[in-house]
Amino acid sequence: MSSRGGKQKKGNVTSEQEEEEQPLQAVLVADSFNRRFFPISKDQPRALLPLGNVAMIDYTLEFLTSTGVQETFVFCCWMSNKIKDHLLKSKWCRPTSPNVVHIITSDLYRSLGDVLRDVDAKNLVRNDFILVYGDVVSNIDVSQALQEHRHRRKVDKNISVMTMVFKESSPGHKTRCEEDDVIVAMDSKSKRVLHYQKTQGLKKLQFPMNIFQHGSDEFEIRHDLLDCHISICSPQVAELFTDNFDYQTRNDFVRGILVNEEILGNQIHLYVTQDGYGARVSNLQMYDSVSLDMVRRWVYPLTPEANFTDQQGQGCTHSRHNVYRGAEVSLGHGSQMEENVLIGRDTSIGANCHISNSVIGNNCTIGDNVVLDRAHMWNNVHVSSNVEIHQSVVCDGAVVKEAVRLNKQCVLAYNVVIGPNLSLPEGTVVSMHHPEEEEEDDDDEFLSDDQEVGHSKDKTRQKAFNPAEVGPEGKGYIWKASMNDTEDEELAQCLWGLVLNPDPESDSESEASEESQDRSRSVSPEIDDVNAFQLEVLGTLQRGLEENIVCDNLVLEINSLKYAYNITLKEVMQILTRVVLEYPFQQQGTQLTTLQYTGSLLPLLKTWSPVFKNYIKRAQDHLDCLSAVEELFLEQDTHQTAMVKVLMKMYQLEILEEEAILKWFSTGATNDKSRQLRKNQGLQKFIQWLKEAEDESSEEGE
Amino acid sequence: MGSAIEAKTHKNMPGADKEADLTERIEAFLADLKRGGCGTGPIRGSGETARETTALLRKVTAQARWSSAGDLMEIIRKEGRRMTAAQPSETTVGNMVLRVLKIIREEYARSRGSSEETDQQESLHKLLTSGGLSEENFRQHFVHLKANVIEAINELLTELEGTTDNIAMQALEHIHSNEVIMTVGRSRTVEAFLKDAARKRKFHVIVAECAPFCQGHEMATNLSKASIETTVIADAAIFAVMSRVNKVIIGTQTVLANGGLRAVNGTHTVALAARHHSTPLIVCAPMFKLSPQFPNEEDTFHKFVSPHEVLPFTEGEILSKVNVHCPVFDYVPPELITLFISNIGGNAPSYIYRLMSELYHPEDHDL
Repeated sequence: MSSRGGKQKKGNVTSEQEEEEQPLQAVLVADSFNRRFFPISKDQPRALLPLGNVAMIDYTLEFLTSTGVQETFVFCCWMSNKIKDHLLKSKWCRPTSPNVVHIITSDLYRSLGDVLRDVDAKNLVRNDFILVYGDVVSNIDVSQALQEHRHRRKVDKNISVMTMVFKESSPGHKTRCEEDDVIVAMDSKSKRVLHYQKTQGLKKLQFPMNIFQHGSDEFEIRHDLLDCHISICSPQVAELFTDNFDYQTRNDFVRGILVNEEILGNQIHLYVTQDGYGARVSNLQMYDSVSLDMVRRWVYPLTPEANFTDQQGQGCTHSRHNVYRGAEVSLGHGSQMEENVLIGRDTSIGANCHISNSVIGNNCTIGDNVVLDRAHMWNNVHVSSNVEIHQSVVCDGAVVKEAVRLNKQCVLAYNVVIGPNLSLPEGTVVSMHHPEEEEEDDDDEFLSDDQEVGHSKDKTRQKAFNPAEVGPEGKGYIWKASMNDTEDEELAQCLWGLVLNPDPESDSESEASEESQDRSRSVSPEIDDVNAFQLEVLGTLQRGLEENIVCDNLVLEINSLKYAYNITLKEVMQILTRVVLEYPFQQQGTQLTTLQYTGSLLPLLKTWSPVFKNYIKRAQDHLDCLSAVEELFLEQDTHQTAMVKVLMKMYQLEILEEEAILKWFSTGATNDKSRQLRKNQGLQKFIQWLKEAEDESSEEGE
Repeated sequence: MGSAIEAKTHKNMPGADKEADLTERIEAFLADLKRGGCGTGPIRGSGETARETTALLRKVTAQARWSSAGDLMEIIRKEGRRMTAAQPSETTVGNMVLRVLKIIREEYARSRGSSEETDQQESLHKLLTSGGLSEENFRQHFVHLKANVIEAINELLTELEGTTDNIAMQALEHIHSNEVIMTVGRSRTVEAFLKDAARKRKFHVIVAECAPFCQGHEMATNLSKASIETTVIADAAIFAVMSRVNKVIIGTQTVLANGGLRAVNGTHTVALAARHHSTPLIVCAPMFKLSPQFPNEEDTFHKFVSPHEVLPFTEGEILSKVNVHCPVFDYVPPELITLFISNIGGNAPSYIYRLMSELYHPEDHDL
């Protein structure tokens, strides 16, 4: 899906000769900015997950290199170090590589939009470039699409800003995933996109009439297109993202451009290919089908035995029925590799096993009488005897004990131990990460892979593994079952992508950037910026109070300030808390008595509670807010008694949650002062009261 | 030439540059091979691949650092292993590596022979106790070895360039007026062969289309452009049409050590039909296609490409229910072949082993 952006800068019309000479560039986004692969992608970024025993990003780079890309910018965010290490070791970073790979890492990317804004800020692209994600597997020769794109740009004076590459494949195709299903209206002659919409399982679709009144006499409305997530972009695309900082995804961009087409005159085009293969591994179901397609040689020449990554010892042989064997594979007596099987090096398989449509990684051991069908096992997996695995993913280091049965769509994340004698029901996800780490986080629209996961490790360790779930010797937690609300089911399904979350993209994308937040590795911006930002926030709130501005607008202002001063969300919240709490001092001088202070503060809290609620959503936010409160009252030690009232008020206004407060109280103390603070009688009582969790809250507050 | 080379070795910096350039060239070549010519690179015939390989090996000889024939052979072998591993089905590459190794051996022996007057002839005894010139014996340094080897490789290149013409020149001996010729798929050599004959004779060509790639269509177009009477038939009609055919002329991808062929899919069908009707089967194969490989169930023997041609990806649900394979090559056993026409003349399949021993040194068969 491509989108065309708002304003087009006409400044950079380079001469045609120059364009010819410049090397082809590509922007590879090695982050998905969503959590579809959780809990797997907690330990390994998605781009490095193995597909046919080769990291996905290698497929993407090989695709780019074989289409003649000479310079690739790889943008990493989540676990960027791992990606960087991987790339530096790979053949792409050798001096002889025809494709020069630049790795750009930043923790601040929240979406595709951020990446492209950075591309623009750093002025990286000089010419048309190819935009792909790090999980695209393709052998499409885009040179023709590129040619068409360039031709259009020459003829139409830079009107066309993007060409999206689609692959023809009829509905119901196994490699089409429902959530990426699009319906496109296009001008059949010029291949111009007139309307672009995700179907999202809708039975009824509406097209605006005006798209058919453009004067062209032939239209096509197509539903037989598979989005390869490969787009050829003009340099304007990056600029358009900068101009419209609300664009987060390519979807936003396409919508934006199509809506503004009349005004801005930008167009998006389409390239439909019949041969070649291209798909994005956007969820586990896609992973399953792309992996099988690869083993079935649809992506030729990117086949397992080609060893295109040039890694030592990765080579394998290809024999009949698409059976691939790496070096030193041993197969027990009576075992059958029926068809479409890829077995990595040093793997040993016991007797009487039946393996079909599966990929097994390096260094795995598999016992006797094992049945594997559509199993995806990564490296160092141990499977004991009498195990049955159907359409499941087993990650690195997992152990499956005797007589375990994994029904369809199970996922065993890294280092999980299962069994013995257990049958996991369909769709079970087992992970070493306790789901409660995430519990609170799942109900907001936070979509980035990028988040700190270790914050409640201690808590996790204390919880025992449930033998009913993972077997008597098992290690790991069920990812889905312990989550309590209805969305969990959707999430677990989303991992496989079978059931469609009614509107997953639109809730999430629009606000992803504001709400996502960097927890642990906040990169502190310039001090000046922070101070300036604090002053601005104060000013905004002041004005808000004076002019009686609606809280929504305040939020909007603060958001734009956040962008202007490049402040992380965590800091926004801390600064906001601080500003609000200091507000009475600011207005009436520091000589206030505690009583006066609370008297003027509490109404303010009430007024601004929507602002707070907008920023404080997840457990970590609550904790951050609380620590900001604590910090302030440590400074203003004369007013410590007011703290209880503030907390109480915030609790009543539902800014803060009871659990968060309790948690903060029990774990937050890091030094003597804060411990002292917690001994405050009022606070103790308050906590006591919270613990008893009665609903007679109202009287005590004032 | 000798002085020029010496000058090169004296300057260190340009040498390093050259080496970097060399590795870059090799990597690019390997990448091209791996992509099977379907990336940005042009789709090449095996003749072109042979020439490119040889040119690259010449570059290696000229620019790599080596002091004796033994070193050079080791370098060539190492690069050769990588090249053949990159695309095992492209046997031409391996064949050219073997040819170059043989050249080095010969040049070394010549240099030694001229300076020491020994080892003039290979005796039967020597052949039997081979190992003959073992690796240690290649340690001697000769000033002119590099120049000689390069010159010999140049000769090889000239030979390669002339192969198609050499084969085509023999066409009139084999094709007579008013004959009906059958061929399968597209082979550049066969195309040149037929066109050459068409200059003097009038004959009819039947082309089997060779699904699913249907290179036969292209072949037919090219032939009819040269005003040869051409008919395209479906592969299924091969047997039926064979009774009318006087001669079958085909190309091949590889000639195996036993005289069999590894040729495009469908060739075996043609060969069996020809045998049934006792129609002579002539294979046009330049010498560089001769490979020391034997037919076996070894995995590198096959080549399976994307099943797209057989059942397009656009087909919906059926794809998840069936397995589709798209093999590229057929094996044709030697007993079905009447004659090989190579650039050095016609040979029977039973004579292939002899050609093999002339072209390649037995010790090099395994790289």
